[in-house]
Amino acid sequence: MAALRDIKNRIEATIKTSQITKAMNMVSASKLRKTERKYRLFQPIKNKVRMMLENVLSSNIDLRHPLLELRDIKKVGYIIVASDRGLAGPYNHNILKHFDQIIKERHQSKDEYIVGTIGYKAFSFCKRKGHPLLNNESINSRDEVHFIDFQAMSRAFVQLYLEEGVDKIIMIYSHYVNTLIQEVKEEILLPITDLARTKTEAVSEYIFEPSAETVMNELFPIYLDNTLYGIILDAKTSEHASRMTAMKNATDNALEVIRKQKLYYNRARQSQITIELTDIIGGANAVT
Amino acid sequence: MHIVIITPEGELYNEDVDAIVVSSHSNGDYGVLENHLPIISTIDTGYIKLEQKNLVYYVVVINGVVENHRNLISVIAEDAFIGDSKETAFKNLSEIRKERIEENKKRNVELAKAERELRRQIKLTGAGNV
Repeated sequence: MAALRDIKNRIEATIKTSQITKAMNMVSASKLRKTERKYRLFQPIKNKVRMMLENVLSSNIDLRHPLLELRDIKKVGYIIVASDRGLAGPYNHNILKHFDQIIKERHQSKDEYIVGTIGYKAFSFCKRKGHPLLNNESINSRDEVHFIDFQAMSRAFVQLYLEEGVDKIIMIYSHYVNTLIQEVKEEILLPITDLARTKTEAVSEYIFEPSAETVMNELFPIYLDNTLYGIILDAKTSEHASRMTAMKNATDNALEVIRKQKLYYNRARQSQITIELTDIIGGANAVT
Repeated sequence: MHIVIITPEGELYNEDVDAIVVSSHSNGDYGVLENHLPIISTIDTGYIKLEQKNLVYYVVVINGVVENHRNLISVIAEDAFIGDSKETAFKNLSEIRKERIEENKKRNVELAKAERELRRQIKLTGAGNV
């Protein structure tokens, strides 16, 4: 009797779980659509800023800037982009595992690197492992990404770079390929090495107000913020995709468990009925 | 002369104007009229005054780039807010930004509280031992 009720309880609990995971799946799906759209719309803006920067650089080919120069690497800064919340399948785990591997392979001591984190999961991970942190408070990675959320950290890192506190800044994030595939990627944020410096037509016509150098000095942080923003949007998109897939799998698994439990339940009920029947028949036989 | 103001949240303003004045806190002001030479400048904190016949609008811009090319002015800004006067626009924008930062902080605290409560409840009910 007790076993029967237990199984029934379990079935009900699993049904509830499957409803929750299904709801989460649908929420993530809609968020994914939204973020993906934002990500796509942002690409032309990013390219435009990049083009402007290239224009400024091309008109002053021999201009030097510390953000563009390769230095001997003594200390590396890492920025990890993870999520605030869990239940996103292997999303956070993959990123953090990758990061752990990098640290093991490239660095002997904790003096050689410093970490900036975006997202609570990355923050608590680094704190637990005792990595040297740049931010002593978790930086939110909310569903609606805003510049202002992580600007303080990005500016702090650039400042550190200019003061030669770090010689290279690497971003670790999850790149969105499609709904099923997201891969952990590394991108070098600083120094900027991939800007074209070729003279294109019409470039030299531009006036820079007040001067090319000032414009460049202010354009660099904007460009970096934009790059960072683009990367975070990318990471956010893959977070939603990852969560969506994870929740889909969870729902499927729950349904599978329900199916099996129902089988057990019916079997137990059947055997109970059989026992009752044999009891009755046995009793009846004894009377006659 | 056409002006497009873009922020990461999308297009803020896309309209024909007669003249604009770009004012930046660090670099000073300059005006742009029809057929101005191609120009690139930056705004750290400042505003753009838009003049359209007898209407005047102010767009407060934070960390933006202004580019003028063949009578098309594109402004790419990290944050921007449009208003009737620069004071109100600026006030609104800084309020929005401040609110956001404070909200973030509050979220951090609330999250930590909720997590602690959850852990306590799990321990209390012994849900982890089933």
